[in-house]
Amino acid sequence: MAATGGPNDLSSEMELDAFRRLFPLRFHERHLTESIRPDGRPLGKARETTLALGAVASAHGSALAKIGCTTMLAAIKMEVMTPTVETPDEGGIAIDFHMPPICSPLVRPGRPAELAPVISKQLSDTILSSGMIDLKELCLVSGKAAWMAYLDIYCLDADGALFDAALLSAVAAFSHLQIPVVSLNDDGRVVLVSEDNTVAMKEKEPVNKERIKLTLNNIPFSLTCVLHKNYILADPTSEEESIMETFLTVVLDSSFQLVSLNKPGGPGLAHTSAIQDCIKLTRQRVKELQKILNEAISDMEVD
Amino acid sequence: MAGKSSSTPATYAPSVSGQKKRRPLIQADSDWVRPDGRSFHQCRPAFLRTGAVNSASGSAYAEFGNTKVIVSVFGPRESKKAMMYSDTGRLNCNVTYTTFATPLRGQPPETKDLSSMLHKALEGAIILKSFPKTTVDVFALVLESGGSDLPVITTCASLALADAGIMLYDMVASVSVSCLGKNLLIDPVSEEESYQDGSLVITCMPSRNEVTQMTVTGEWSTPKIHEAMQLCLDACSKLGKIMRSCLKDAASVPQD
Repeated sequence: MAATGGPNDLSSEMELDAFRRLFPLRFHERHLTESIRPDGRPLGKARETTLALGAVASAHGSALAKIGCTTMLAAIKMEVMTPTVETPDEGGIAIDFHMPPICSPLVRPGRPAELAPVISKQLSDTILSSGMIDLKELCLVSGKAAWMAYLDIYCLDADGALFDAALLSAVAAFSHLQIPVVSLNDDGRVVLVSEDNTVAMKEKEPVNKERIKLTLNNIPFSLTCVLHKNYILADPTSEEESIMETFLTVVLDSSFQLVSLNKPGGPGLAHTSAIQDCIKLTRQRVKELQKILNEAISDMEVD
Repeated sequence: MAGKSSSTPATYAPSVSGQKKRRPLIQADSDWVRPDGRSFHQCRPAFLRTGAVNSASGSAYAEFGNTKVIVSVFGPRESKKAMMYSDTGRLNCNVTYTTFATPLRGQPPETKDLSSMLHKALEGAIILKSFPKTTVDVFALVLESGGSDLPVITTCASLALADAGIMLYDMVASVSVSCLGKNLLIDPVSEEESYQDGSLVITCMPSRNEVTQMTVTGEWSTPKIHEAMQLCLDACSKLGKIMRSCLKDAASVPQD
C-alpha cells in the first residue's frame, strides 16, 4: 500500500481509466498529494448544489435537491390524526427514506438497501431533535385533531453524501409546505375548505385560517466528510465513499449550534483537530446552503 | 421509520365534504371539455429527457402532464446465480410508485401487474440474442401518477434502453385511449380513467409498423375499436418522432 515510489510507476504506462479501476486507492492518493480530487474539486469544497421547490403537485410540500449527481426528492402529505393522551396539543411527523432500485446498481427490487433504514433513522432524529418544527403548530383542535406530516424522501440517483442531500431536500420541503385550510364538520371529522365550496361550509369556520405555513427555527444543515490519513475530503462521491471508509457527518443549525456529530466507526480514527476542521468546513457549508435555500424560496414566491 | 411503529395513531386525509365526483353526461352535451382543456383527440404535451440517473447504464425521465416517471436501465449484467444457463439475454422489469404518487397516500395500483405488462411490451423490441447469459434490468419509479401511467412508463423505458445502448429492433411508443360513451379520449388523465367505459392501449414500434402489445378492456363495439386503434397508431408514430429527436439532441450535445 505504498503511496508513492516503488512499482506504482505503472501509472505512466497504463491508461488512465484502467489505472483508476485497478488501483483506485493509489489513483486517489496521487490526487490528494496534489490537493485536488479526480473531479477537479479542492479537498474542502462541496459539489454544485441546486434546489427546486414544488416538484410534486400531488403533495402539500415538496422539494428536489441535487448535490452533484446525488438527487433527492422529498414530499410531504398532511393527514389528520387524533393526538395521544400524553401530548393532546401536538401533531406528529413521520419521516421515511427510500432507496428505490432506480437509484443505484447495488439496490435490487425485493432486497432493500441496508443504508436506507439507517439514513431514515438519522434523518428523523436530526429533524425532530433540532427543534426546527414546533409540534404544537400542527395541532388543530386540542385533544381531538392534529396534523400528521408524512415526509417521504426518495433517492433518485445515489452518488455519495446521501444524508446531506436528503436532509437538504427535507428542510426545503418543510419550507415549501402549505397546510390545507380545514374545518370541523358535524361528525367531528376534519374536512377541507375549498374556495368554490363556500356555500356548504358557510356556517363552519376554518380552524386553521392563519396557520398555513410552519415557522421554521434553527434549520439544520449537514456536511459529510471523508477522513483519510491526514486528508479531509468534504462531500464525497460514491466512488470516494467506496474507497475511503471513514466518514464524519456534522449537522449544524442556522445559528451554527451543533445538532449532531456522527462518526459511524470506520478504519480511521478521528483526532480532535480533525473533528474541529470538519466543523469548520461545515460552518462554511451551512452559509452556502442557507443562501441556496433562501434563493429557492424567493424564486418560488416570484412565480 | 419512527412513525411507522404500531403506536402510530390511525390517520386519514381530509376530503372536501359534500362534493361527489360525478361522471359527466357526455352523451347529452357534445361540447363538454376535458379537465385539462384538451380536445378529445389531443395528447398531453410530452417532455422526454435521457440521462436522468448518472449511476445507471441508461435512464430517461418522462413527463406527460402530471404523470412523471423515471426509468433506469442496468446491465447487461450477470444473471442471478439460481438462473439456468440461457443462450439469449434476460429482461427483468420492475415498477414502483412513490408513496405520494397517488392522491391518497400509500395506495398505489397493483405494481406486479404493471411490471409484467411492461416486460411483455418491451420484450419483443429487444434483441435478446445480443447479450447471452446476462440480464438487463429495467426499473421504473412513478413519481406522480396522473393517468395513462403504463403507456408513459413503457415509452420512457424504451428511451432508457436506447440510452443504455441496448440493441433494439426499434423503440416502442405506447398510447392509450379511453372510451366514454360515444367519445374516444386519447391519453386520458386519472379523472377520465376513473369513469371510462373501456380502455385500449397500443404499444408499437413506429418505424417497423409492428405492434408489440395491445390491451383492450371494457365495453367496445367493433367500429369503435378500429377507430381507437387508428388513433393510437397515429399518436404512436408522432410520439416515436419526439423520442427520436430527444435521442438525437442528447447525442449532439457533447458529453463529458
